[in-house]
Amino acid sequence: MSRFHITWDKGVGLFLVFTILLGTFSSEYFATTSNLTFIIRDVAEIAIIALAMAYLIIAGEIDLSVASMLSLSSATIGFLYRAEVPFEVAMVGGVLVGLLAGLFNGFLVTVLGLPSLAVTIATLALYRGMCWILLGNKPVNQLPSEWVNLGYSQIPGTFLPWTIIPVVVLAGLAWFVLHGTRFGRWVFAIGVNSQAAEFSGIPVRRVKLALFGFTGIMSGIAGVIYTLRFASSSPDGAVGYELGVIAAVLFGGVSIAGGIGTIWGVISAVLSLGVIRSALQLIDFSANALLVVSGSLLLISVIAPQVTDYVRNLRSTVSTTKQIQKNERVNHE
Amino acid sequence: MRSLKNLVRARELPVFAAFLIVMGGTSLAVPHFFSGKVAIDLFLGVAVIAILAVGQTFVIVMRHIDLSVGSTVGFSAFLIGDAYSKGMGLGTGMFLAIGLGLLVGAMNGFLVAYLKLPSLVVTLASLYIVRGIFNEFATGQTIIESEVPPAINWLGLNRFFGIPYLFLIGFALVIIAGFVMKRSRAGRDLYAIGSNPQAAELAGIPVARRVFFAFVATGGITGLAGAVLLGRFNSANPNSGLGLELLVVAACVVGGVTIAGGAGTVYGAFIGAILLQGITLSIGALGIPQFWQQAVNGSLIIGAIALDRYLSTRVKTTTIMGSKNE
Repeated sequence: MSRFHITWDKGVGLFLVFTILLGTFSSEYFATTSNLTFIIRDVAEIAIIALAMAYLIIAGEIDLSVASMLSLSSATIGFLYRAEVPFEVAMVGGVLVGLLAGLFNGFLVTVLGLPSLAVTIATLALYRGMCWILLGNKPVNQLPSEWVNLGYSQIPGTFLPWTIIPVVVLAGLAWFVLHGTRFGRWVFAIGVNSQAAEFSGIPVRRVKLALFGFTGIMSGIAGVIYTLRFASSSPDGAVGYELGVIAAVLFGGVSIAGGIGTIWGVISAVLSLGVIRSALQLIDFSANALLVVSGSLLLISVIAPQVTDYVRNLRSTVSTTKQIQKNERVNHE
Repeated sequence: MRSLKNLVRARELPVFAAFLIVMGGTSLAVPHFFSGKVAIDLFLGVAVIAILAVGQTFVIVMRHIDLSVGSTVGFSAFLIGDAYSKGMGLGTGMFLAIGLGLLVGAMNGFLVAYLKLPSLVVTLASLYIVRGIFNEFATGQTIIESEVPPAINWLGLNRFFGIPYLFLIGFALVIIAGFVMKRSRAGRDLYAIGSNPQAAELAGIPVARRVFFAFVATGGITGLAGAVLLGRFNSANPNSGLGLELLVVAACVVGGVTIAGGAGTVYGAFIGAILLQGITLSIGALGIPQFWQQAVNGSLIIGAIALDRYLSTRVKTTTIMGSKNE
């Protein structure tokens, strides 16, 4: 028996290396510092939300309203700033609104017992609608330049954009809590069997409520970064991002059935998708190809576990049959 | 007597009552609100969503979901116009559009029914893939009015005794599908599968085959809806149908097709679509900024899901109590 099991999340890590190599060979501009800066900046929001979404999907729930919460956070910032609230306070307000929106999702799911898929389709519309109510069709573009500069300038002396700091810190935290604490074990236990988790004393509802709130905060933070990066707060930002987030999380090896997943798998997946996008742009592929690639990767990520399961079953069937034949032979003798 | 009881108990009735209240309330607030023009707007706005909601009902009743319809309906609409502008007839265009729908449906159905993949993920993936291929194919072009086949153009502009043809197409489909769902064996099987897939399998229902063909049917209907979409707007572009899937799911859920499967009718989904469109119109008439539209829709869906939840627990308790007492 081999000790080293090649699991899906390690596979995605290898895939990331592969995409980077492919990118390097396909275009001379790929491995430049300015392009790396671009890639990191480009995936920041998706990465941050994907961390929270990983927790939710591992626990057997889902949140389709994340892009709307991101936009609601951004719209809140614009709305408050337009009302002459200091920009720093407005940013805190954006994150808080994200938290509230996430908790409202959690309330509907854990207290009223409604299915999260349906609830968050509804709040996807509701929160997006609130963006329009807050801003109307007038985006807020006159944001303080010292903050906006953070959105696209680099850490002095390096090619790394400022946005890498929250991403790395949050990823480290998310990794530690999921894989190193009791709370993290609870999340997995709930995803494997929510009822069994309940009976073994895990406060299932409270954990789920916390996860929805966490997703709201992370979407709120992503909203702040989004606002700074585009130097604008508009009601129609980040439409459809939820699909990109879910695609990245599932491709990163989190099982849609719950109970399985790792943070490094998710981060590798987010980065691979960013790398592929950049490489496709550099070799003048249209953005449409990226849609097709994302969709295909999503399909592969659900088909592959089925195939490995099938192979494993096949192997165990073969070994059982052999065992039975052996027994029969023994009996005959 | 029994049919009267069923009618009162039906989940569709409160939805239709809500629609009447919305329209009545708006009429009181805004005199002359309900005019011929509003009726036409209502009919036209409902047509595409109603047709798509029929297909979606097949799928949701089985406890599945199809998010790919927005991409497929847009691509279908574009294909019809594109085929016509390249000198092919309407027949070829319709063949391509419905063929595309069937193909996407068969792909979704195969992956969900036979490989047992979650429909949410599969159809999310095909939403992407179809939109990507569509945009690549369309290369940013727009189908303009002169490229719309005259028959479709005519259907989009004309009415039969005051009722737009597009609506009649949708209505006919709703009636046919409603009959199939209620009376045919395959239709009843869909409910059984949605209530309890394992039990359905054990009861001898060919679950995989039913699921597969339900997705194929949904795809075909979506292709057909492409023609109606083209007729409605007399144009199509690479963004046609974008985000429509959520509106369709919303219409179903508001109309009492429960996301947990096993319950709901196409009539309900149809009335759900009418209610959503009615609210859109009254928001406009009441002078409320259109920006409120989405928030209202969202709240409405939450209300509908919560109501379903409440009703389903209540029905369960009454049956248990009833059997104990009598």
